[in-house]
Amino acid sequence: MLLGETALLRLLQLADSALPIGGTAHSFGLETLADEDALAPEGVEAFLSAYLEEGGALEAAFVRRAYRKVELQALSAELSARKLARESREASLKLGRRFAELVNGMLEQPLLETGLHYCITFGAAGAALGIPADAVVLAYLNQSIAGLVSSCQRLMPLGQLAASKILWGLKPAIVRASLSQRASGTEEVSCFSPYLELASMRHGSLETRLFIS
Amino acid sequence: MRAFGSLVHLNNVSGGVLAGDRLALDVDVQAGAAAQITTTGATRLYRHRAGAADSEQRARLSVGDGALLEYLPDPVIPYAGSRHVQRTEIRLGRGSTLFWWEVLAPGRLAAGERFAFERLRVQTEVYAGSRPVLREDYLLEPKKKNLSATARMFEYTHTASLCAIQEGRPPAFWRALEDRLNELARSRTEHGKAVWGASMLASDGVAVRGLSMSGCFIHETLIEFWRTARQAITGKDAVPPRKIY
Repeated sequence: MLLGETALLRLLQLADSALPIGGTAHSFGLETLADEDALAPEGVEAFLSAYLEEGGALEAAFVRRAYRKVELQALSAELSARKLARESREASLKLGRRFAELVNGMLEQPLLETGLHYCITFGAAGAALGIPADAVVLAYLNQSIAGLVSSCQRLMPLGQLAASKILWGLKPAIVRASLSQRASGTEEVSCFSPYLELASMRHGSLETRLFIS
Repeated sequence: MRAFGSLVHLNNVSGGVLAGDRLALDVDVQAGAAAQITTTGATRLYRHRAGAADSEQRARLSVGDGALLEYLPDPVIPYAGSRHVQRTEIRLGRGSTLFWWEVLAPGRLAAGERFAFERLRVQTEVYAGSRPVLREDYLLEPKKKNLSATARMFEYTHTASLCAIQEGRPPAFWRALEDRLNELARSRTEHGKAVWGASMLASDGVAVRGLSMSGCFIHETLIEFWRTARQAITGKDAVPPRKIY
């Protein structure tokens, strides 16, 4: 499937970090890592590169599976079982609900189901709007990494140029993550990220918090 | 059986898991019964042998209505050059309870081995009724992907996890237990030595996670989490396996 003009414009809008669904309120555990000095500006790119091989690849796989219009509620329950840390799991569900409400509101019709994880809702939206699957997965990952870089800018002394360079430099890693499940040819996706998971579990224990997750 | 339950020790006569081994464990805890399963020592995964298949350990555990299963094996130690697959599937019936812990060491640290295994695939699925409550699926290949990345294990070498599940309990119960376990986690966390955290699962349970620089104290701490969760869920004290950790 080719990416037509209208499809491209729709995708750009849906994957824009300024989309009003509340994404900027979540750090998905990064706030804990920054607070404990486990993550500093010079380590952000390497951190996100490894993240893309784990959590990024997992979410990419679920965007792709949702795109194929499988039973979405069951798919979302499966992803909930894989997200052990409550705050990150709830953040992903909350963004999914707000994304669905926004799209349904813009289209003035119930195009998307609610109550699903963000990556699943995004995949379902891409399919419903006729945007090619590979483009949908890439755009999802790109906005997700852009969101994490933006969190880092608010958590540590990371300037605009440095942040832009990180996001630019991560493009090949984003492409690899978007293809990792397709390459394996199975539904199985490996994700091993215990320190980040612990950071999310321990986020509620921080004395002061900028972010909800 | 209901009052005392049964204690089962799993013995592996070869002393470890060899390349090409395929081990299967099927456990059926019937309705209302109580069982504690442990091992006599660490599960040692030996070096891969050319031409052999990856060793495999598959466990299928089913916990009947109102039954209790405590599955508390010793650590898994993947030796240098080992290749192993571990698949675990646990299904819980109505009102049944599960306590399960797992510890993964980086190799024979005393012999200078650290993440020297070839690959380790771990797949875990836990269902409460028809609901998936906990799922893990990871492939570790330390030579291809650096396990010491901050997004993975950071500076730590051992992973520990405990899950406490009872089918049918409402979310508010688990949320409160999460807070209690996180209080304990905070008091047991010492950066550079061990970090602990807890979280309620999507439904029916809580998970505790730990990362540590050594195998020491992991079991001591896991037992504390288990005691706290067991008291809250069953109203009874945990009875640890009688052995030295």
